[in-house]
Amino acid sequence: MNKRERSFTDPAAMQRVLGHRLTRRSMLKGAGYGVAGLSLASFLAACGGDDGGGGSAAGGDGFDIGEIYAGEAGDTVNFTNWPFYLDQAKDKDGNVFNPSLKQFKEESGITVNYEDTINSNEEFFGKIQPILAGGDDPGFDIMVITNGRYFAILAENGWVYPLDPNRRPNFDANATTWAKDPFYDPGNQFGMAWQSGVTGIGVNRKMVNGEVTKLDDLANPDKVGRGLVGMLEFDMPDFVMINLGIDPKTSGPDEWKEAAAWLQMQKESGTVRAYYGNDYLAEVQSGNLSASMAWSGDILYSEVWLLYDMGFVVPEGGALLWIDNMMIPTGAKNPVGAMEVMDFYYQPKVATMVSEWVLYMTPVDGVKELITKDADQAVEDGYKGYANKLYQTAKSDYLFPDEEFISHTSFGFDPKTDEEIEEWDSIFLPISQS
Amino acid sequence: MSIATPAQVTLPKRSEAPVNEPRKRWTRFILPTYTVLMILYLASPIFVMILYGLNDIPGDRQTPKFWGFTLDWWKNVFNIQGLPEAFKNSLIIAPVSAAIATVVGALFGLALGRYRFRGIGIIGFVIFLAIAVPEIVLGSSLLSMFVTVNAPLGMGTILVSHIGFSIAFVAVTVRARVQGLDRNLEDAAQDLFATPIAAFFKVTLPLIAPAILAGFLLAFVLSLDDFVITNFVAGQTNTFPLWVFGAQRIGIPPQVNVMGTLLFAAGIVAAIANVVASRRRK
Amino acid sequence: MVPYYLLSPGGLFLLLFFLIPLALMVYLSLKSGGLLSGGFSFSWEFSNYSSALGQYRPQFLRSLTYSVIVTIAALLLAYPMTYWIAFYAKRKSTWLLLILLPFFVSFVIRTIQWKFILGDNGPIIGPLKNLGLLSDDFRVLATPFAVVAGITYNYLPFTALPLYVALERIDKSLIEAAKDLYSSRWESFYKVVWPLSLPGVFAAFLLTFVPATGDYVNSSLLGGPGTTMIGNIIQEKFLVELDYPEAAALSVILMIVMLVLASVYARILGTEDVERAAGAQA
Repeated sequence: MNKRERSFTDPAAMQRVLGHRLTRRSMLKGAGYGVAGLSLASFLAACGGDDGGGGSAAGGDGFDIGEIYAGEAGDTVNFTNWPFYLDQAKDKDGNVFNPSLKQFKEESGITVNYEDTINSNEEFFGKIQPILAGGDDPGFDIMVITNGRYFAILAENGWVYPLDPNRRPNFDANATTWAKDPFYDPGNQFGMAWQSGVTGIGVNRKMVNGEVTKLDDLANPDKVGRGLVGMLEFDMPDFVMINLGIDPKTSGPDEWKEAAAWLQMQKESGTVRAYYGNDYLAEVQSGNLSASMAWSGDILYSEVWLLYDMGFVVPEGGALLWIDNMMIPTGAKNPVGAMEVMDFYYQPKVATMVSEWVLYMTPVDGVKELITKDADQAVEDGYKGYANKLYQTAKSDYLFPDEEFISHTSFGFDPKTDEEIEEWDSIFLPISQS
Repeated sequence: MSIATPAQVTLPKRSEAPVNEPRKRWTRFILPTYTVLMILYLASPIFVMILYGLNDIPGDRQTPKFWGFTLDWWKNVFNIQGLPEAFKNSLIIAPVSAAIATVVGALFGLALGRYRFRGIGIIGFVIFLAIAVPEIVLGSSLLSMFVTVNAPLGMGTILVSHIGFSIAFVAVTVRARVQGLDRNLEDAAQDLFATPIAAFFKVTLPLIAPAILAGFLLAFVLSLDDFVITNFVAGQTNTFPLWVFGAQRIGIPPQVNVMGTLLFAAGIVAAIANVVASRRRK
Repeated sequence: MVPYYLLSPGGLFLLLFFLIPLALMVYLSLKSGGLLSGGFSFSWEFSNYSSALGQYRPQFLRSLTYSVIVTIAALLLAYPMTYWIAFYAKRKSTWLLLILLPFFVSFVIRTIQWKFILGDNGPIIGPLKNLGLLSDDFRVLATPFAVVAGITYNYLPFTALPLYVALERIDKSLIEAAKDLYSSRWESFYKVVWPLSLPGVFAAFLLTFVPATGDYVNSSLLGGPGTTMIGNIIQEKFLVELDYPEAAALSVILMIVMLVLASVYARILGTEDVERAAGAQA
C-alpha cells in the first residue's frame, strides 16, 4: 500500500471542481422544475456558454450575501442532522435534551429545533430536491451533507446559500487545517465541516468467529455467519474499491465493475442481510448483525457509552474518509441565525461537548487538550470510570488521527458528469435492488 | 311397496346421534379456541407496544432489551423533536379529510344506491377500482400529477389525497345501507311531507345516519393510519405514521409506543361507545 | 337530474384525484430524459416499458408470488375464524370488533413491533436459541418468510371481512338442512357452506391479493436482499432516484395487471361482494 498524502487539500481535485463546466447546471435548469436563485453564471450557461473555470466556483455568484444575511437573527433555527450526531443528556425529570443547544439558547436567546432524521444523503436529497427546485421553503435552516455527489449538486444548482465569510469568527480562529478550504469546497463557500469520520467495519464481538480484519471477511460465512452482515448501500462502492487497492478518486468504469463483481460475489456468498443507510446501527445494536460496514463514531459511541460489546475495525485495505458539512438551503427562513449556530460549534469548549459524545473527528483545534482536561477533572471528582473513557477518547485514532492513520484512508469518487453518474448507478444500483 | 309412514321411520334424535359429538367438539372448543388464539395473535404487537412504552432504557431510542419499568416516557410524551408536529398534523388531516369525504361520499353513495341512471355501471366500476387498486399506484399517480403541475408538496396535497381515496369507501358504506332501505318508508314519508327534500331530511337521513357515521369513522381511521399514499405526496411534511417509519430506521423513541397505546385506548373507547349506541338504538 | 347533482362533488374529486392522476402517470411514463440530463420531455418513450419489464421482471414475479402465498395463507387462517363467528358466535359484532381493534393502531407501528418480536435475539427466538431448540444462526427477519408473514398479518382483515360478510348472509336454515341430509359434518360443510361462501372467498382473494402485490413496507422493514418487491423499486425510483418516467412506467404496469384482474373478477362475479365487504369495515 503506497503511502498516501493527507488528501484533504488535493490540488488536482480542486482544479477539477473549479474547472467544472456548467453544463450540468444548465441541464438541471431545463429540468422543468424551476431553479431557485438566478445568477449571472446560470444566465451564461443557459445561453450555452461555458464557464472557463477560475475564481468563481460553479454557482453562488448570483446570490447577494448582503441581501441574504440582512436583518436580525430570528427566534428559531431549524437544524436537520444525522442521528447520534449531537451531545445528549437526561435531566432529572428524565427528559432527554442537548446540552450544547441549551447553552446556545442561554447565550443567544435563539431556540434551535433539532431533528436527526437524515438517514442517507440519497434519500434526504430525494426528499428536498423537489422543494428546493421549486423555490419553496424546505422547513429547515441547516442541513448536514457529506462531501461528494450531493454536496456538489446542491452547490452548483444554487440550492444552497453561500456562507457569509464575515459571520464566522470562531471558524476562522479555530478550524483545523483540513476543515478550512477543503478540496470540494474552496474557501468554504457553501459549507462548514460538522464532523469527519471514516467508514470501516463494526463488529459484534460475540457473534463473529475470530477476528474480522479484512474486507473479504465480510464475504466469509464461516467468519460472520449467513445473513448477518450489513452493508452501507451508498458507501460500499468506494469502500470496496479502496480495499481492492483502487484509489476511488481516479477510478473509472473498469474499476467500478471490479468492485461490483466483488459485491456480487459477496451477495452470492449469503452473508449479507441487507443494504442500509444509518439504520444499520440499530440492527448491530440489537444483535441482528454480526458485522457491518459502519461509521466510526456510531460504533465507538455504542461501545463506550452504551456498553455494547462492539468494536470498530479499519480493514487491512483501508477505510473510506468523508467530511459532513453544514449547509444552508435556499428558502431557509433564518440564515443569519443559522450562521450563528454554525459558528457557535467552532468554539473549542462547545466542540468538546459534542466530541465527547459523538466520538467523531472534530473540525476544531484544541479539543484534544480540553478532553484531557475534562478527564483530569473527572479523576478529581472521583469518577474514575468516566475519566478513563475520556482519556481513551482523547487518545483515539478515530478522533485525532495521525499521518499514519490518514495514510490508510481515502476519499470517495466524485462523479462530475451525468454520464458518469448514470454509469455508476447502472453498475451499482442493481446489486442492492434485486 | 307401501310408503313408509313417518311413525315407522325412526330418525335418530339429533342430540343422541354420535355423528354430532365431533361437531360439538369443533363448534364448542376447537373453533372458538382457534378464534381466540387468532385474536391474540393479531393483538400481539399491541401488547408489545404497550409493554415497551414502559421500558426504562438508558438512551432515548428503543432497544429490544427490556430494562425495567418506568413512567418517564408517559410523562414526557411530547419531548421528541418532530414527533408532536407530526402527530398534530395527523390529527388535523384525519378529521378534516374524513368530514369532507363523508359529505361528498355520502351524497355519492346515496345517488348510487337509490337511483337508476345512465352510467351507473361505469361509475360503480370506478368506485370498485378506487377500493381495489394498490395504494402504491394511487400514491405514485398522485405524485406524478403534483410533480407535473409543480404543486408544492405538503399539508394541502396530503389532505386532498386522503379525501380522494376515502370517498369511495364512504360511498360504498352508505350505498349498502341505502340499498337495504325499504322504499315503502320513503313513499310513506313522501305522502306525509310536502316536499321530497323534507322527506329526505326527516326520514331517509336518520335511517342512513348510522352508515354515514360509520363511513366517517372509516375515513378517519384510514387517514390517520395511512402511510403509503402519504409517503408519496407529503414532501417534507410529516404525519405520525410517516414520522414513525422514518424514526424506526434509527430506533424509535419509546414515546411512539406511548402514543400508539393512547391511540389504541381511544379506539377501544370509540368501539365501546359504538356498541353502546347501537344497543340503545335497538 | 337529482342523482347527477348528488354525484357531482364526489365525481369531481374522483376525477381530479383519482382518474386524472392515473392518466398523468401514463403521460409521465412516456417521457424520457433524466434529472441530470436535461429534465424530462414527452417523447412516446415506450422503451421505458420494455426496459422496466426487462430489468425488473424478477421483482414483479416475486411480488406476484408472495401475494399468492399471502392470500392463500390469509384465507386458510381467516376462514375457520369467520366461519365460527358467522354461524356459532353469540355476540358477532363484539368478536369482529376484537379482531379489528388492533388495526386501529397504524400498521407501521404494528409492523415495527413485529420486527422486535421476531428479532434474532428477541423475546421469542432468543430463549429458543438459549434452550438449544434453534441453531445459533437461525433467524426469521430478513427472510422471505418474514415478509410474507408480515404481509399476511397486515392484510388479514381484508380477507376476514369479505369472508364474514358472505358467510353471514348464508341462510342458517340451509345449514340445518345440510346437517339433516349428510352424515358427516365435513360433507355438510363441503357440499353446502363452502359453495355458498365462494363469492366471499373470491372477494377476499381480490381484496387481499391486489393490495398485497403493491406492498413494500413489509419488505422494507422485515426483509433483506432477495426480498425486494416491485413496490420497493417504484418507491425508490420515485422518491430517491427521482427517475420519474421509469418509475411511472413500473407503476403503470402494476396498475394494468391489477386492472385486468379486477375487471375479470368484476365481469364474472360482479362487484357487490367487494363493496359490501369494504362497507363492512365501517
